[in-house]
Amino acid sequence: MAGYLEISPLGLAVENILFTAAAVAYLVATAGYLTYVFGLKKFGPLAAYLLRFSFLLHTAFLVTRTVNAGRLPLVGHFEFGNVFIWACVLFYLWGEWRLQGKDYSVGAFLTPLIVLYLGYLTVIPQLVEKINISRAHKPLQPVLQSNWLQVHVSASVLGYACFSLAFAVALMWLLKTWLKDKSFVRNLPEPQILEEYMYRASGLGFLFQSIMIITGAIWADTSWGRYWGWDPKEVWALITWFIFAVYLHARFTRGWRGLRTVLLVIVGWVAMVFTWVGVAWLLTGIHSFG
Amino acid sequence: MLKEKKGGARRELSAKPVGKILKFLSSMQLGIILLLLLAAISVLATLREHDAAIQSIYRSWWYLGVMAFTALNLLLCTVRRIKPLTRQALYPQKEQSAEAIAKMPVRETVVLAKSKPAEKVISLVANAFRRRGLKAEIITGAQGKIVFAQKDVCGYFGSLLTHTGLLIILLGAMYGALTGFERQGGGIVGDRISVPEGNFAIRIMDMWVEHEEDPTVRPRVYSDVSVTEGGREIAGGVIAINQPLRFGGNTIYHTTFRYVSEIAVRNTSTGETSMYRVWDRDYLPLEKDGIHIHFLAFFPNFITNEEGVPSSQNYLPENPVLAGILYDDKEKPQSHVYLALNEPVTFSVAGGELEVTLTGFQHAVVYTITRNLGRPILVAGALMFILGLYLSFFQQPRRFWAVYDQKQAAVLVGGRSYRSRFQLEQELLQLVNEITRREEEEHGRIS
Ligand code: HEM
Repeated sequence: MAGYLEISPLGLAVENILFTAAAVAYLVATAGYLTYVFGLKKFGPLAAYLLRFSFLLHTAFLVTRTVNAGRLPLVGHFEFGNVFIWACVLFYLWGEWRLQGKDYSVGAFLTPLIVLYLGYLTVIPQLVEKINISRAHKPLQPVLQSNWLQVHVSASVLGYACFSLAFAVALMWLLKTWLKDKSFVRNLPEPQILEEYMYRASGLGFLFQSIMIITGAIWADTSWGRYWGWDPKEVWALITWFIFAVYLHARFTRGWRGLRTVLLVIVGWVAMVFTWVGVAWLLTGIHSFG
Repeated sequence: MLKEKKGGARRELSAKPVGKILKFLSSMQLGIILLLLLAAISVLATLREHDAAIQSIYRSWWYLGVMAFTALNLLLCTVRRIKPLTRQALYPQKEQSAEAIAKMPVRETVVLAKSKPAEKVISLVANAFRRRGLKAEIITGAQGKIVFAQKDVCGYFGSLLTHTGLLIILLGAMYGALTGFERQGGGIVGDRISVPEGNFAIRIMDMWVEHEEDPTVRPRVYSDVSVTEGGREIAGGVIAINQPLRFGGNTIYHTTFRYVSEIAVRNTSTGETSMYRVWDRDYLPLEKDGIHIHFLAFFPNFITNEEGVPSSQNYLPENPVLAGILYDDKEKPQSHVYLALNEPVTFSVAGGELEVTLTGFQHAVVYTITRNLGRPILVAGALMFILGLYLSFFQQPRRFWAVYDQKQAAVLVGGRSYRSRFQLEQELLQLVNEITRREEEEHGRIS
């Protein structure tokens, strides 16, 4: 008995057009950042403008979706994915703004990652039968009608966004150290700077991931009568948290640098993606509500 | 490592064998191994069936053992670091020689345009530090005046709070598990649920249903209860999903609702009628050790599709049907049974015929009743943990020292940070710029 909300045809049309427009704009911005990193330096500011414009379109899409559904777009794979992508861009743009135009290369790694996430929401479901990402507007089940939902989901998209940034920078680090100064890698920042970026993004992500786990437990306590049920989604969130805890400790207390820490960030990101994607399609539990 | 200086406790501990063991037990090395081990076990556990994983892994002695070891590691490490960290945070070595500053991880020399009296330069430097948000003071040491400045001292305690918060959370969970209970119970209006573990009873006074705007979404069922202990009311109120009733560490949650049907069974020859109340999964015997109905589902708004598969269109009680299967005395299924409201269905039994009628239905609530006395401890631990994380990542303690060499007309500035050397380098550059700017301004004014 899964019901759907009735959306006016106009509202639906505006929403769909904005989504497609934002997706296309992200693709164009990706091309801009790649051009920059492959040597055409003057494309940097242009790519940044394009990304900001895409971000505005995407924000407009989220607002329309909120109006159409009559609630914040925080439930189901499609909505979560969109807010998550939006948060990735938000954090990246914040970092770019703080660098005051000194460097745009992180964008050349983050935007393809965003295209990948967008592909997961749009193209992959058409190729893989088992993956079914519905764009329908569903009303909230009573158990989801709680303010904790909003805090919990917001914290998780923010955490995931930081981890995605850390992952993008980890890939940059690998290329920079493997290819040394060959080809486009010349335009990437020094490994130490990348490590610093990765560390800060992971620290912030760890804070949000912790808030997500704690608010999730509080919410579970008010609706299900238990804090922690060892549900696969809960456990995978905890696994991600363990891995980033190891990374932060290894770097800070043991003084680890370089490849070992970069690999930890990559493994942490894989665990995070599995929490989002793998648990939904490969493992079952009460969290698979949409 | 970015330690400002090694904790003294470390050296004292490692001298004896017991100290060596303690040192290992409290080490981050062991912490990393344990965290990785917990992560690996958890990955394997999620590949199993959920209930099996809970029994064979999460509740096993060895998983709890690894957890306990982690807690011990965390406890020892936290306790061991309290003293050195406090000393490091609150009693910095403010006086440093020029040679020591010259050896600091981050340092810079500013040559002034012209030699000036030490007094003046030192106060200029202190003001420049203050301008950049540092707490600066001027100290008179053996070699003359020194500027000492620092910022974000709270950051030293970030990890201490984080770890203590985690320990408190574990403690709260343990205390809650040891002193608490959890059970299910429920009923219809008028029922009394006795909870011997908690020494209280719950009476369901009233119940009502609110359908969602979209009736295919499960409706909200509200129940009004009164909780009594030894006949005295100790709590009461309305319970619904996401709206539990809490009193004295106990909580009553609305877990789900079910349907309870009223069934009349009339013997057509004798006219004798019996009334039954059945839940949606109950058995209804029609004759002693003979045929019986096993009810399977209650449909508030019954419908069948083309293949005859029954379902409910939505939750509105517009066409209530109780569905089940008729079994013979040998437990063999005979036929489907659909009881629609007030529409009798007749069954042949040894003594004649029985008319079975669904005469009405009502909602029943299912509660989860728990006691968790650890909740305040958990909340305190969680707040401390989050505050600790904030301090760890957003308060970066850093310290600067500056001395003036009048002969060379040079200011030597050195800095140390607890965490981020990168940030320290950037900040030192800004400090140097600030000093130069001020010096030029003053120089310009004088000349
Ligand atoms: C398993 C036992 C653990 C040990 C022995 C341990 C030990 C340490 C030590 C020695 C530090 C650095 C000292 C400082 O900042 O003053 C530290 C930092 C920290 N710990 Fe732990 N820790 C453990 C578990 C955890 C866990 C489970 C978490 C949270 C998931 C955690 C969160 C943190 C954080 C956030 C920091 C600050 C890290 C940074 O500045 O990069 N620790 N820990």
